[in-house]
Amino acid sequence: MSIAWYLAVSVIIFSIGAAGVLTKRNALVILLCLELMLNASNLALIAFSRMWGNTDGQIFAIIVMVVAACEVTVGLGLIVAIFRRGLPEDADQLSELRG
Amino acid sequence: MSAAIAAPHIDWTALGPISILTGGAILTLFFGLIGSSGFRRVAVPLSALTTLVGALVWLISEWSKASAGGLTIISDALRIDPLTIVLGSICLIGAIFAVLISLRSDSALGGGEFHSLMLFSVMGMLVLIASDDLVTLFLGMELLSIPLYVLSGSALKKERSLEAGLKYLIVGSVGSATLLYGLALLYGATGSTDFVAINKAILSGSTINDSLFVGGMALAIVGVSFKASASPFHQWTPDVYEGAPTGVTTFMATATKAAALGIMIRLLAGPLLPAVDDWSPIIAVLAVLSIAVGNFGALGQDSLKRMLAWSSVAQVGYLLAAVVVAKELGIRAVVFYLAVYAVMTLAAFAVVAENSRDWDEGERLDGFAGLGRRRPWLAGSMSVAMLALAGLPPTAGFIGKLTVIGAVVDGGHAWLAFAVVIGSLISLAYYLRVIAVMWFKDAPEGAEAAPTRRAPELVAIALVAAALTIAIGVMPSWPLDQAAKVTQKSLQSNTNR
Repeated sequence: MSIAWYLAVSVIIFSIGAAGVLTKRNALVILLCLELMLNASNLALIAFSRMWGNTDGQIFAIIVMVVAACEVTVGLGLIVAIFRRGLPEDADQLSELRG
Repeated sequence: MSAAIAAPHIDWTALGPISILTGGAILTLFFGLIGSSGFRRVAVPLSALTTLVGALVWLISEWSKASAGGLTIISDALRIDPLTIVLGSICLIGAIFAVLISLRSDSALGGGEFHSLMLFSVMGMLVLIASDDLVTLFLGMELLSIPLYVLSGSALKKERSLEAGLKYLIVGSVGSATLLYGLALLYGATGSTDFVAINKAILSGSTINDSLFVGGMALAIVGVSFKASASPFHQWTPDVYEGAPTGVTTFMATATKAAALGIMIRLLAGPLLPAVDDWSPIIAVLAVLSIAVGNFGALGQDSLKRMLAWSSVAQVGYLLAAVVVAKELGIRAVVFYLAVYAVMTLAAFAVVAENSRDWDEGERLDGFAGLGRRRPWLAGSMSVAMLALAGLPPTAGFIGKLTVIGAVVDGGHAWLAFAVVIGSLISLAYYLRVIAVMWFKDAPEGAEAAPTRRAPELVAIALVAAALTIAIGVMPSWPLDQAAKVTQKSLQSNTNR
């Protein structure tokens, strides 16, 4: 099977994740969408790794998994802190600050 | 493949600064757990400062080896050349002053976490700037960012701080994910994650017009732009700068900027240099957009922290204009302007920190009214910082902008120089407004009683940074020569590989 198919799936997953981050309101769902974006890259990395026949991409993917776990931990921690303070966990309502 | 595992060569001495920061971060966390609260209050910042100074001294001591051809640590994962040392020093010095500025901040008093996270973040910056491989680049970027998300949310008493932390986390992670996808595509196009191998693959020909390669490069640039807060990826900047504790904001404005711009020149003027025609239009567009959006956004801001955030977007625009040049002059301008920018921002934020201590109104422009009469030294430092950021002589900001414009014109992008000049003219409106408010407007109600106890260290930082700004502005030849030497040696050591 050609590499293009793997890449196509990865691009679709990445786009779903990006669209989710932009449109979803709940902070937890946004974190899930961020995971989708990172894992789309993992899929691409592993596909390329097969294509080139070296392990660089696979090692990269494993490291990305570790990093993604750290990111989610911090994200969940912040959401819990916000929830405890009684602030809305809905991203649109967090409008004390305006860009 | 043989059964025995060939261990990679690790240069432990060259790895010193990073090891010191790791050890120091853990030790600082430990100090936050033992002893009485009085002991912790002294031991934790002291241990953080010692660690930072130790790492700085070690990093600088590698100069002679680094300038003689560059040090490669852990089989090509990290590389230390003069450019790494200079940019790393800017990050470390930025962190030292951020710790000093946060000495009395509530968020820094809780225990060792604040300082420990800051040390980890600086370590991420060093890894990022020294990275010689796509994997270490991504790892450094995340090691820099993840502690910063927590630090931005660390002023638990302020509702805005937590919100800033979550916002920064979401936007920053989108940036990281974009960067990662770009790196994945670059790997796909070139077949290696190693910078030298990528460079060779590009030079060998076929990849340069490859859509995978160009797409990967564009996504990687977008990802880094999120961290550098270049427009149109800057939307988080004003919110996070305002919501984060002032010490953390200082850290972000000085060290994070240096790290993000540092990796930009390392990646673009390093392995991706043969593709300069592909990436320079992207960077040029980012530069012009940042200059325009940053300067217009800063007009009419009531909060000084927000104004400085918008102005930092504009400053990144000037820096990116120099990145477009990509040649020796351009890199020299970036290095020099980064150092100068760090000094003048430091002066501005130290004044903001002192004026807003125990007084929320002090972050707003109204809170600065009459400062010239109440505290002339503070107002004087702020005036110097504002003049320097606007790029007026005889300050370092003027020389910095002159170097940028010189490099841009020399590189044949005169229209970019035009954008820099127009941007500076617009910026006069909001920088001079701060000076006018400080010296010519009467103090608001409650301003006299506001700062209950004065913080001499903040005034000292502001004065030193302001004096340095003027000193570089009056005698720019030494720092300019050094910047030229660093650039030359780094380029030499990279072409010899």
